[in-house]
Amino acid sequence: MTLPRSNGNYYHRQGLLSLFLMCAFPLHFWTLLLAFRDISWVIERTNVWDAIGVASYGMIYAFIESLLVFIVASLLGLLISRSWSVERRVALLSVFTLVISLWAMVSQLYFLWEVSLPDSILQALAHNAHPVRTMYMALFTLTATTFVIPAYFVLQSDKGLKVMRDLVERITLLSMFYIFLSFVGLVIVIIRNV
Amino acid sequence: MRQTINRRDFLKLAGLLPLSLAAPRFMQTSLGKKNVIIIVFDAFSAYNISLYGYSRATTPNIAELAERAIVYNNHYAGGNFTTTGTASLLTGTNPWTHRAFELFGEIAPAVAAHNIFNVFKDHYRLAYTHNLVANVLLKQFRNDIDELIPRELLLLGSYGSFVQTLFGNDEDIASVGWTRNIKLEETGYAYSLFLSQLYQPLQDNLVKNIRSQFPRGIPTANYDDGFVLGQGIDWISERLIAAPQPFLGYFHFLPPHSPYRTTLEFYKKFNNDGFEPTEKPLSVFSQKQDKHDLLRRRTEYDEYILHVDKEFGRMYNHLESSGLLENTILVLTSDHGELQERGISGHSTATLYEPVIRIPLLIFEPGRKTRLDINTTTSAIDILPTLLHLTDQAIPDWAEGTILPPFAPTVQDPDRKIYVMRAHKNKHDQPIATSASITMMKEQYKIHYYMNYPDLEKNGQNELISLFDVQTDPEELVDLSISHKKIANALLEELKTKLAEENKPFL
Repeated sequence: MTLPRSNGNYYHRQGLLSLFLMCAFPLHFWTLLLAFRDISWVIERTNVWDAIGVASYGMIYAFIESLLVFIVASLLGLLISRSWSVERRVALLSVFTLVISLWAMVSQLYFLWEVSLPDSILQALAHNAHPVRTMYMALFTLTATTFVIPAYFVLQSDKGLKVMRDLVERITLLSMFYIFLSFVGLVIVIIRNV
Repeated sequence: MRQTINRRDFLKLAGLLPLSLAAPRFMQTSLGKKNVIIIVFDAFSAYNISLYGYSRATTPNIAELAERAIVYNNHYAGGNFTTTGTASLLTGTNPWTHRAFELFGEIAPAVAAHNIFNVFKDHYRLAYTHNLVANVLLKQFRNDIDELIPRELLLLGSYGSFVQTLFGNDEDIASVGWTRNIKLEETGYAYSLFLSQLYQPLQDNLVKNIRSQFPRGIPTANYDDGFVLGQGIDWISERLIAAPQPFLGYFHFLPPHSPYRTTLEFYKKFNNDGFEPTEKPLSVFSQKQDKHDLLRRRTEYDEYILHVDKEFGRMYNHLESSGLLENTILVLTSDHGELQERGISGHSTATLYEPVIRIPLLIFEPGRKTRLDINTTTSAIDILPTLLHLTDQAIPDWAEGTILPPFAPTVQDPDRKIYVMRAHKNKHDQPIATSASITMMKEQYKIHYYMNYPDLEKNGQNELISLFDVQTDPEELVDLSISHKKIANALLEELKTKLAEENKPFL
């Protein structure tokens, strides 16, 4: 499938780059966070070079995953009405990517921090006739709300769009640094494998 | 219809190729020599084996077979984890000689040729391991092995098997990287936010037919994919029956190493059986595991041993019925033990208490009909010279072990000292100076020496010494280092002198 180019109503090059960098940011951030968390564990068992190796593989996979998420997000963007400007649509997709990523992080933090739902919620679920269905409905409502509210501001308010644009600017800068780290990771992996 | 061959089938066929190439050479040159099979079950502690007196009946099959074997009751590994333990077994040397200290470490290059495969040149040499860490050593010896069976051959199919192919020169760390990226199964979190969520259902689907056989999950080999011990045992058994003779086979299976995932047959076999472990004081290296957790993990470990016991019994019977054992020496042992006490679970520990270093050793020799118990203290380094002796080959000068009784032509030196060591923070080309544990056994005494660990430094110490009489106190409950100060000091002096001597070339 060929995406229409700028002025072709869907995306322009700058928009696609911004979207890719927005997709890459949470994935690289999470990888780095957990890789740093693992460093002492790996060093304890082997050495610093191996710990750097594990992180390097992580950065390469994060880059590949970023590309995949970017492709999915770009395709989803084709479903958004062209009545919105390219800038608004990219901002909306960025919001979508960030919110989904944040929820994916929360789902892993649940295990990472070994937290449990409050007893009162568990009790309520246990007494419910359809606990699983209720839980999924509640989660969907919560997730959808966290997406719909910022999406509304991005689409309806110039101020909302400006806030998002500023955020994208800052994040893309950081994201470029992460992409650079992925490249360093690739070099390290090549060195380890020759 | 066109028949296709998948990668697994290809590897199986490829495995037979060396057989056809090598058969004439071995048949012509070594007719009449005995075969040798070494079976290693990883992290198999003698402490938890009923054959050695454990109160849970964990090894009924091995106990039955032991009635026709030589049973070594006080046998010790070279280290308390795979690298060091396996290296001592395969090289017949102490850790400070082979210097494979670090996890994923290799033998020091200068002594890499000093290995069991190199000295069994007249035999067809085969080797396999599930264990990624042991595989590092086998790969180091690959030029001395006629048939190094690919590790992934006996692993279950996986979407992650590309890692071994693509990153073959960095397989171990690439596998760790892949696991930490994609697999949520163990911890519930992974580097990948989205692919990890997709991977698990796909992988589950791939192994859904056998999942029901493993209520605690399918056993996994270190950081990567699943395996079924029975499948490995079957494949190796068939391979051995067809192998050119005489052969030396080294097969290092991962069970009962953690994760302790027994089969449905043994699941909850020891649940609520009233077993009460001996109460022991917390170690200074305690991982703060509470006693309920330790008992649960011990029970799971014991149930996993039942699975190992059954599979070994099956393998033995299969080889016996094939007639192979009529001309084969079969060795059953381990690379190190496992500990579920003193606040510690597993073997990632500085400590060198009995459960983590005392391992099984049984030798089945052709024609033996009765059990022979050997109570002398023996070491993993003794296996290499013993097997050379039993196959009428010369023992090289560099071998540090001795021929095991009852095969030894002379009585064992009563002053013999046996060493076990963990020095995983030390480099092979530097003196042993940081975070190291050494135990030395002499007569009935066992001295533990721990040096330069952060856990000790927190208490203002840089070394810790304890002394036990393991004949009268096999549980190591009474530290004699104060009450028997003279003996403790003498042994410590001896140990430190030995360490200084071994460190000298690296200073």
